[in-house]
Amino acid sequence: MDPSEVRQQLKELMVSELNLEGKSPSDIDDAAPLFGEGLGLDSLDALQLAMSVEERFGVRIPEGDEARPIFASVDALVAHIVKAKAAA
Amino acid sequence: MRIWVTGIGVVSPLARGAGETMDRLVAGERAFAELELFRIPEMRARVAAEVRGLTAESVAPPGEAEGWSRTDAMSVLAVREALGEAGIDPKRTPVDLLLGGTTAGMFETEDLLAWLSREPSAITPLQRMLSHPLSSTADRVHEVAGPFRRTRSLCSACSSGANALLLGAAWLRAGLSDCVVAGGADGLCRLTFTGFTALSAVDPGPCRPFDRRRAGLNLGEGAGFLVLEPEDKARARGARPIAELRGWAVGAEAHHITNPEASGRAAARVMLAALARAGIGPADLDYVNAHGTATPLNDAMETAALHTALGAEAERIPVSSSKGQLGHTLGAAGGIEAAISAMAIARGVIPPTKGLEEVDPACRLVHVTEARRAPLRAVMSNSFGFGGTDTVLVFAEPGRFPDPEPAPRRAVVMTAAATVGALGVHGVAGSGLYLEPGPAPAEGPVAFQAGEHLDITRARRLDRAGRLATVAVRTALREAAFDPSAPGVAESTGALVGASFGSVDASTAFLRRVYDKGAKFASPADFPNLVPSSPVGHASIYLGLRGPVFAMADLGATAESTITSAVELVMVGEADAVAAGSVEEASPMIERCLGPICTGIQQRGVRAEGASAVLVEAEDGARARGARVLGRVRWWSSWRGSRPDGLRDAPAPPVDGDAWVLVGREDERLAALVEASPWAGRPLRALAPRAGDHEGAGGFAVAAALSALADGRIAGALVVGGAPDRTYALILEAAAAGRDAARAP
Repeated sequence: MDPSEVRQQLKELMVSELNLEGKSPSDIDDAAPLFGEGLGLDSLDALQLAMSVEERFGVRIPEGDEARPIFASVDALVAHIVKAKAAA
Repeated sequence: MRIWVTGIGVVSPLARGAGETMDRLVAGERAFAELELFRIPEMRARVAAEVRGLTAESVAPPGEAEGWSRTDAMSVLAVREALGEAGIDPKRTPVDLLLGGTTAGMFETEDLLAWLSREPSAITPLQRMLSHPLSSTADRVHEVAGPFRRTRSLCSACSSGANALLLGAAWLRAGLSDCVVAGGADGLCRLTFTGFTALSAVDPGPCRPFDRRRAGLNLGEGAGFLVLEPEDKARARGARPIAELRGWAVGAEAHHITNPEASGRAAARVMLAALARAGIGPADLDYVNAHGTATPLNDAMETAALHTALGAEAERIPVSSSKGQLGHTLGAAGGIEAAISAMAIARGVIPPTKGLEEVDPACRLVHVTEARRAPLRAVMSNSFGFGGTDTVLVFAEPGRFPDPEPAPRRAVVMTAAATVGALGVHGVAGSGLYLEPGPAPAEGPVAFQAGEHLDITRARRLDRAGRLATVAVRTALREAAFDPSAPGVAESTGALVGASFGSVDASTAFLRRVYDKGAKFASPADFPNLVPSSPVGHASIYLGLRGPVFAMADLGATAESTITSAVELVMVGEADAVAAGSVEEASPMIERCLGPICTGIQQRGVRAEGASAVLVEAEDGARARGARVLGRVRWWSSWRGSRPDGLRDAPAPPVDGDAWVLVGREDERLAALVEASPWAGRPLRALAPRAGDHEGAGGFAVAAALSALADGRIAGALVVGGAPDRTYALILEAAAAGRDAARAP
């Protein structure tokens, strides 16, 4: 799957699934941390995003500490999805 | 006045019966096993604490089981046991029932809801849906284990049972009741099972409260109820105390819808408030029955809160969690754990925490892993719910501590009213527009742009009901120039908002995903919004309200129920200010199925929706802050049963001006009540013709009454509301000085 396509779909998914009303996919920074500052996302959003990513892309996000580097940024999450899709 | 616990009833995953449950807890038994009640493909967690072999059929009257739930059945058994032990026959003695819960008949209606969402044309008044509303459990208990004089159904998620006991205790202390049976009940269902699993809050194996390796809770089910009476009344009839209920307090964290405030600051505040109400200190406590869910966040937060509240005494006071044996019984937990706390005192035994092997350094307390005998002077029971609603009860050995202070009976006023409905978002003046002549509203959802009223980034987690409720409460607070962020104000300011049929459509959508796509696609973000207390919980978080926060439900009289309860809480001093109302959304499931089958109302004009909130304040406080008093609460009453003369003894209308009778929806029964009262012949104004026909029209009636009082059109108003077999009445008078203080019959 093309990384830019994954990136676009992922950001659209974030806006709809995390109820980022008033934000558009282009407002989401590729490199900024997903949680904490910035978008103001928290652990409940992480759970929702992991579920939505699995539903949309068929890629499972591991739980706990293993999820931390994957959820570091949009870039990191896109890389995880692309890699997992390629391995499938 | 001391409050005695004179009867206890429990249905638990370990046993049917309070005494046998306690025996098994003390013996260290655990109730966890593979779930048998239902199967969901791909469900990772399958361990639960189930009440085996219990069916609605085994308890419901012949031929009525279709409209019953297992929650109803467990409640009936537990209430009967409690009343039996107390030696009270509700057919001969007036008894009030307060019932906390979260899921009611969810298990019995989940399949049907999912099917109806695929076949909307089949949405008709179906008998099976009778068990769905939160209030149906109190109704079934009333029918077969009552009758009760009054009933209240409330929800604050996992502290529901404790809050039912708290409201009951407040009634006794204020002299509003001489006997209550109160507690909680919740049956297992797919919705909570998949929801808590989606939140990663469920341990796939047996749970480990306070353990370093704890990985979440196990769900359980059950019911726990206590009979509470004032000592003098109980003595007079020769009853004996099991324990005293001495202290109670409720407060909201105003922090997050699922995660507890890590510092435990709010929980510690509530523990100290409960001890203060009890008139004792940490040095008098000999045991804490912890909330102890075994989730990583709860147990660390609770430990921090216990150290903050108890100080050095935390190094002495033994602590245990019953959830390592019973699982988390959600709305029942507060009732069951109150029962355990009272029995611990009566037996002189501390039940253990099972599953705890290696104490987490973040959970350092005096843990009890094997039951041990000890005389217990006083015991604290903690309950914390989604949305951050913390409730603490304190029980004590009968007669051990000095007689507590009697309750004040404070005059109560209303200082604001807000409606979100067919005519827009309005404060008190605009809410009076519903009394003006004009057309019926458009059918269906009202036009409502949340972004015009709320910071949508902060409000992104709020579903539509949460937003409607938050806007109604916020509008009321603003109009009253009430600043919850002022020092000391937030802690004594609460909110009671409910929906008659909960979030039935959102619950259906959640279940559809689970049925269609599998348990792993249950939405963790949507799940917290399905709890009946979610809208009011969101409002408390958004607005920073830290006093009593919970939902209530009573069919088409939910707003009447919350407003009446708010008046009672403020009168007795449990809060200084409470915003109260309801939020009722347009829904084919409610309009074509739940409404008709549960209330008998087929169609009374154009169906619409709406949210309302009035601000109920102690008169002294309102006057001290220079608030504009819109109306004083002169009198109120609520009752179950028909009682055609129920308003005969109500105070007469004021003589110094006009007086109206206001109702949400027109109802011949209510009109007949008024005709048999001193208010006979007064103009009767119904709100539904302009506000639309919906379950929350009664809240609009109170708001409109305040509007007419505020602009001087009337000097007094009688607001009457109800649903089948239940009535609420409230008399408001203009704010002129020198009138009698509020009183309840």
